[in-house]
This record gives sequence, C-alpha cells and structure tokens, in this order.
Amino acid sequence: MFGKLLKYDFRSMLKQFAFIWPTALVLAIVNRFTLDGLDSTSSVGETTAGIAMLVYVAILISMFIVAVIFVIQRFYRGLLGDEGYLMHTLPVKPWQLIGSKLACALVVTVVNILVAILSILLIVPWAASDLKELFEGFQYLFAHWNIQATQIMIAMLEFVLFSLASFAVGYLHLYLSMAIGHLFNKNRVAMSVIAFIAIQVLLSILGTILARPFSDLIYPAFSSLDGMPAYHISMWVLIAGEMILAAVYFVGTEYILRKRLNLE
Amino acid sequence: MNEQLVTCAALTKRYGGKRALAGVDLELGRGRIVGLLGPNGSGKTTMIKILCGLLQPTEGAVLVDGQPVGPYTKSIISYLPDRMYFADWMKATDLFDLFADFYKDFDRTKAMSMCASLGVTPSDRLKSMSKGTKEKVQLVLVMARKAQLYLLDEPIAGVDPAARDFILSTILTNYNEEGTVLISTHLISDIEKVLDEAVFLKEGQITLHDTVDNIREREGKSVDALFREVFRAANYEGGAF
Amino acid sequence: MDWTFTDDRPIWQQITEQLTLRILKGEYPPGGRLPAVRELATQAGVNPNTMQRALAQLETEGLAVGSRTAGRTVTEDTAVIEAAARERARAAVAACLRILAELGYSPENALVFVKEELSNE
Repeated sequence: MFGKLLKYDFRSMLKQFAFIWPTALVLAIVNRFTLDGLDSTSSVGETTAGIAMLVYVAILISMFIVAVIFVIQRFYRGLLGDEGYLMHTLPVKPWQLIGSKLACALVVTVVNILVAILSILLIVPWAASDLKELFEGFQYLFAHWNIQATQIMIAMLEFVLFSLASFAVGYLHLYLSMAIGHLFNKNRVAMSVIAFIAIQVLLSILGTILARPFSDLIYPAFSSLDGMPAYHISMWVLIAGEMILAAVYFVGTEYILRKRLNLE
Repeated sequence: MNEQLVTCAALTKRYGGKRALAGVDLELGRGRIVGLLGPNGSGKTTMIKILCGLLQPTEGAVLVDGQPVGPYTKSIISYLPDRMYFADWMKATDLFDLFADFYKDFDRTKAMSMCASLGVTPSDRLKSMSKGTKEKVQLVLVMARKAQLYLLDEPIAGVDPAARDFILSTILTNYNEEGTVLISTHLISDIEKVLDEAVFLKEGQITLHDTVDNIREREGKSVDALFREVFRAANYEGGAF
Repeated sequence: MDWTFTDDRPIWQQITEQLTLRILKGEYPPGGRLPAVRELATQAGVNPNTMQRALAQLETEGLAVGSRTAGRTVTEDTAVIEAAARERARAAVAACLRILAELGYSPENALVFVKEELSNE
C-alpha cells in the first residue's frame, strides 16, 4: 500500500515540476552560449547575457521556493483539506500517508539540488581538453586509491546523509506545525504559523540548556582523538541528533492524524 | 463474518463543550438499506465520519465487521462525503486508477459503464467539469465498489427532484446486495420507499430504530410524517421561549 | 405502468396488491415469467428487499411460483387466479354495498339501483 501511495504522490510531484526542471536545464544551456557575449565588445551580447543569466537565476531560486510551497501544500491540502476525505478513507495507516509525503518531499529536494548542480555544469563551456583532463584525473584517483580517499568518500557520504536528515527535520517541522494548527477549530493557518515558531523557540531553549552538559559529556572522548575520527564521530552525533528530532516530529504528527483528525 | 456489520456502543463525540453524539448504541445487519434521519446538526455527519475513520470518538466503541476502525474496515467501506474531495489536476480515469489500486472491490468496467449511462466523459479533466458532473463522478467511484458498507452522507441534498430520482436509482441498481447502505438525509419523503430501516437521530441520540414496514404498520403513517411530528415537537420544546 | 404508494401502509403490501392486479388483468399472463426482483425494484424505485417481500407474499397466495434464484413465473393454475379475482370482486362489492347502506339504501333498493345503472351504461 505504501508503494501505491508513493506512486500517487510522485505523480502529483511530476505534474508540479514537469515544467520547471527541464526549463532550468534548457536555460543553463542557453547561458552556456550567451555567456560568450560578455567577452565580446558588443553591448547587445552583454545585455542578452545579462538577461539570460537573470532568468536562469530566477528559475533556480523559484525552483527551491516552489519546492517548499509544494511540500506545504501537499500536506495541508492533501491530508488536512478536502482531499483528506479521500486520503484518510483509503485502507492505509496514517504513518504511511505522512511517510509518503515526506519521501516525496525529500526526492523533490534531491532532484532540485541535482538539477542545480547539473545546470551549473552545463553553463561551464567545457572544452574537449578539459573533459579529457577531468577524466584522467578520475583515472589517477582510482588507480591510486588509498585510505585517505576512502576517508574523504565516507566524509562526503556522511555529509549527504546529514543534509538529508536536516531536510527531513525541516519538513517534519512544517508537518507537525500544520498538524498542531489543525487541532484548533478556528484560524488554523495562523495557529500553524504560531506552532512553527513555538517549536523553533522551544528547540533553541532546549539547545541552550543541553549544550553545556552535552559537551561536558562528549568532550573527554574527543580530546583523545584527532583529525578524521573526530570528524566522523561528530558527524554521526549530528546525524543521530537530527534523526531523533525527525522521529519526535514524525511521532507527534502521526499521533495527531491518528487520534485528533477533524476535517472541516 | 460477524453477524452484525456495524456495532456502536455508547458512542459519544464532543467538540469542545458541544456534544454532537451522546451515547449512541446502534447495530446494523447486512443486506439492508438504512436511513440515518435527522435534521441538520443532529449528528448524522459526525456518526458517518466516525464510522469511516475521519473522526475519533470521545468515548465509546465502534466495530465494523467485528473490527475496530482501521485499514481493514476502510477497505470494506465505500464512503460518499458531503463535499468534493479530489485534486483538480486529475481526470476521472486517474481516480479510477487510484481506486483500482487501493480497493480490491473496485470494478473499473462497471465504473466506465456507469459513466456512459450517467453521461460523464471519464477522460475529461475534473477541473473542466461542472459541479453536477463532479458529483456524478464521485457517485460512480462509490457505487462501482462491491463494498460491505456504503456510507452516503446527504447524497440527495442540494439537487433538484429529478436528479434525486436519478441518484437513488443509481444507488439501487448498483449497490452490493450482500452489503449494507447507510444513507444520511433530512429529505425523507424522497428516499422512504428505498429504505428497509430508519434510524432517527435527535440531538446526538437515537430516538427510533425500526423497519420502515413496522413503523408504517404501527403508526399508520409514513416515516416522513412521523419524522415531521417528532422533530416539530422538538422545535417547540427547545423553541423561542 | 406507474407505481403509486400511499403513506398509511407498508409499501410491500401495496406492491403485492398492484402486482396481483397486473396478474388478474393478464399483464403478466398465467405461466408467464415475472421480471427479476432487482428489475422490478428499480422500476418501482424501491428497495429489493421490499420487492422480495411483496413477491414472497404472491407465492404464499399461490399466484406466483418458482424461486428467487431460478426466477418466478405466474402460476399456470387459472383456478387460483380466478379465485383471487373473485376475492377482489367480492371485496369491491362489499365495500360498495357498505357505502350504499350508509346512504340509506336497503339491500333490495341497492340491487334495483345497480341494475338501473347497468342498463344506463
């Protein structure tokens, strides 16, 4: 059932982003050629390059804004609005509904980032020799693979994992806020915003209180370590922290949808 | 298979201080068409929402086919809400796909033939459909399932008398005869002849639950006439003084 | 043909009466097949259970034979149909005589009156 939910959430995602993702990539390719105009002395070329760049940057920014709006809307309309009448009467559990929305939100985020990276790569006017050098560079790296390279790979993976966890926390924070706002009979949107801020404030107070005892606890372990091991451990502590926070938000949201659902 | 399809015991729902349901005990068997009758605000929608899992009762218990409300009960309930519930970007056929995916008892062929007889083009976008057509699509989705329990919340409110007959005959021709249909309404004269049983809901409490035949035989009048009496009296009691 | 129902009695009884009438009139001839429950229910706009009960009553009275699954037919026994027709006629005459009595006609006068009316037609 979870797979089927994902299918429908991904479908609505594709409808939303079918235009913006290809557009960003096409604009990047356009910029790849108009950028040459900057070097030329013609003012026409310069203006074209300027406009093309502006549009490209605007699309890139709006891509991320649309993503946040999408995440909010899919949850608010899809589960707490009229569409909720359909979704909550499907033979699925509330955690599956939330999980599917979250998975979809994370995929949107990852694809957004990939599109952004790819578009930047497309703008760069690669010469054939550049690509050859790059390829040789990778060849060299793999030929002389060593412990440091492994370490760097792991560190990068840790960073990606941490980023994903942070995004999940961010989205679940939004979900929980909307779920809390839903508990009120009036002004649900306003109450959601207040809930969002309240959670943020609560979190920073908690952070301030816990920071000292936590560092006292963890410092002795760190002092004997140095370099990469210390980095790995701190990354995993951070990842665990985000995961715990995400779990708390998730459980809270799930509880409200399971026990306190009250569609208008 | 449990003997009773629906069992509600001491069901109570409060919104803040307001009581929408006050200790409802109700048992419904299989293969019946039951009217859940009461004026607006008597708790009909609350009752139906609890049965389909959109609301949690404050107190009391609900069993559908012997199970508490959850994925299993949702899989055997076909629910027609009192509003439009789909995203506009979809086509009716997208909804058929969705229903076919989630409900094993959804009959796509039947849905398509119902569309044909109701004059709905299922490949049209919902966005471009009129309100009446969208309502038909929703009715098709609900009635093309071979469900154990159909929960129809005010299916004939807000439509003209001709459309009412049309909707009722669609329900009658398509429902699963082993299943039970619960229709909530305050327009009783229109649906009285399709009902096996009538449940009167008054201020969150059941004041009468009997077969329509028994009511007519005992009272010598229609359920509609009895309903008017019962609820006119209620208005006097709680009236202007 | 249309179905009309009054408010004062159970609907299944009214359906039984109307179906009986159709059999007596020969709309459903002796030995002829009766429409399926669901079809009749849709025609009359009533619940299939109600129609089922009405048809069961026809079976009890001997006017219909068969079963729900195999389909029902009107009885081939014309004596039963005739008896039912007589029963109806008797009830109609009894009702007529009761009204005439209320109007002050003695049985003899009533008979004279009916004969007069018949010859006028």
